[in-house]
Amino acid sequence: MSRDLDIKVHHLTRVEGHGNIVVNMKDGVLEKAHLSIVEPPRFFEAMMKGRSFHEAAIITSRICGICSLGHQLTSLVATEDALGLEISEQTSLLRKLLIHGATLQSNILHAYFLAAPDFLNVGSVFPLIATHKDVVLRALRMKRLANDIGDIVSGRAVHPITPVPGGFSRIPEKAELLEIKRRLLEEALPDGLETIETMKALAGAIPQFERETEYISLKHPDEYALYEGDIFSSDTGAISVHKYLDVTNEFVVNHSTSKHAKYNRNSYFVGALARWNNNHAQLGEEAHAAAEAMGLKPNCYNPYMNTIAQVVEAVHCILDSVRIIDRLMEMGLKNEKPNQTPTRYGRGIGSNEVPRGILFHDYTYDNKGNIIKANCIIPTGQNLANIDDDMMKLVPEIINKTKEEITLNLEMLVRAYDPCISCSVHMLEVDFIE
Amino acid sequence: MAILTVIGVGSRLRGDDAIGPLLIDALSRQTHSQIELVDAGSDALGILEYLEGREHVVVIDACQMGREAGSVVEFDAAEIDFVLKDDPISLHGLGLAESIKMAASLNMIPEDLKIIGIEPESIQFNGSLSIPVQRALKMAVDIVEDKLNRVSQLAEA
Repeated sequence: MSRDLDIKVHHLTRVEGHGNIVVNMKDGVLEKAHLSIVEPPRFFEAMMKGRSFHEAAIITSRICGICSLGHQLTSLVATEDALGLEISEQTSLLRKLLIHGATLQSNILHAYFLAAPDFLNVGSVFPLIATHKDVVLRALRMKRLANDIGDIVSGRAVHPITPVPGGFSRIPEKAELLEIKRRLLEEALPDGLETIETMKALAGAIPQFERETEYISLKHPDEYALYEGDIFSSDTGAISVHKYLDVTNEFVVNHSTSKHAKYNRNSYFVGALARWNNNHAQLGEEAHAAAEAMGLKPNCYNPYMNTIAQVVEAVHCILDSVRIIDRLMEMGLKNEKPNQTPTRYGRGIGSNEVPRGILFHDYTYDNKGNIIKANCIIPTGQNLANIDDDMMKLVPEIINKTKEEITLNLEMLVRAYDPCISCSVHMLEVDFIE
Repeated sequence: MAILTVIGVGSRLRGDDAIGPLLIDALSRQTHSQIELVDAGSDALGILEYLEGREHVVVIDACQMGREAGSVVEFDAAEIDFVLKDDPISLHGLGLAESIKMAASLNMIPEDLKIIGIEPESIQFNGSLSIPVQRALKMAVDIVEDKLNRVSQLAEA
C-alpha cells in the first residue's frame, strides 16, 4: 500500500531530543524508523578518573535510582578483576541474592506499571489503581519485599553501602535472612503465582510480531546466569567477558546521542528475552510452568514477549533466593572481612546481567589503586540498534492500521525493552494555581 | 521513636538535583533522634515505603517551578497540580509526581505531607551545587527544624 506516514513521539520534552520515536514513510517507502535516546554514562570516564578503588562502586551506584545495584555490583567485579581480589563463596552467594532482589523488583514493576496498562489499553498505571487496586497493591508488595532483600543484604535498599571490593563490610544476621525466606515463600511466591494468572489473562493483547535477531547474554555452566559467566551469542556461542569490546563494537549514528552496538549482525538483543532464549534450560520446573502458562516458548522471536520473560524470571528469582538462603544456612554465616589487599594493579572487566540486559564496566587502575581509564556499556545502548531494526520490520507489517494504532504499537515496542532513558529524569515539575 | 519523617529525593551526581540527599546528610550530622531520615536517591517510587503509618512527612526535591534559582517553596501535596509524565516510555518516567499521585489513589498519603521544592539552577551530570541552591540548603535545614519543633509541641500537647 502506497502512502505517507509521519510519526514523531516526543516522550521527554524536557530532555531535548531524547526518547523520541521518529517514523517517516513516503510513497509507501519507509525512510526512517528509529528511537533517539540519551545514554546516561557519557560522562562516565570523567566521573571515574582519579577515584580510588574504594569509591568506584559507591559512585556508580548513584548513576541511576533504578539500576543502582546493578552498577554497584558490576563495578565491584571490575575492580576485583583489576586488582586481583578473590572473593569467598559466601560473598558470591550474597551478591546473587542481591541481584535476585533487584531483578525481581525491576521485572515486576515493569510488567505491572508499564506493560499491563498497554495490554489493557488504559494509557498508564493510574486508571488501574481504581479498577484493579488489588493488583497494584500486589505489585507494590513484591517491590517492598525485593527492597527489603536489598536493605538486609546490602545495608540500604536504594544505594547499597555494605557491598565493597572483596566482600561485604557487614554480613546480614541469620534471623534476618530466615525472615526473608519466610516472606519469599509465604508472600512473594503466592503473589508470583497470581502474577502469572494476571499476565496469562492479558497475554492475548500482546502484539503478534516476530523478528529473529542475535540474542546476547551471560551464560554459566551451572546456573541461569545473572551474576557471572561468559558472554554468549545465540549466533556464535561463548566469548570471554574480557573480549567484550569485540562484542559491543559501538558505533555512532546520526539520530541518537547514544552509540549503537552490533556483533555478528546489524543489531542484537539483550535483556530477559535474550536470557530466556540462551539459558532457559537452566530454569527450574516452576519457571518453566510459568512460561508455558503465559505462552512463552524457546526460542521466542517476539520482542513484546520480553515482559513475559521478565515475569518468568521473577518466579525464578523468588525460588532461587530461597535456595541461596538455604545454602548460606547450611554453610553457616561467617563474619568475614572483605579482602582488600590488591595482588596486582591494571585493567579489569566486570559484567553482570542486570534487569535490562548485560552490563559492562571496564576500569584501569594505576599502582596506587586509582582509576586512570574507565568505560561503561549499558544494556539500553546495546538494544537501540535492535529496537530500530524491529521498527523497520514492524511498520510495513502494520501499515494498514490507523496512525494512532501504529504509534501505540511502536510505543509498546519501546516500552517492552524498558529503556533506561536517563537515570534521573524524576525532577518534579509543578504548576502553581496563582 | 521518630515523630517526623524527612525524605530526600534526587541524584547526587546531578548538580542541584542533589539537594534532597544533601539535606539528609546535613540533618544526619545533627543527630535528631526524633527524625527518621530517608535518602530515596533517584528512585522516587521508593517514597511509597515511607508514607504508610507516618503522621508527619516532609519530602525535599529539586522542583521546576518557574521561579528564581534557589527559591524554596513549602507546599502541601494536596494543594498543587503536578505535571504528570503521562505515558512513560520507561520506569524512569515514574517520578515524584507520579509516586505521590499513586500514593494518593491508594490512600497512603499521611495526614501531614509537605513538599519542600527548591528551584535548581542546573541539573547537569557531574555538576556541583550552585551558589543559590547552597543557600537554599541552609534554609531547608531551618524549615525542617522549625517543623520538628512544631510537631514535637503537637506531640506534647
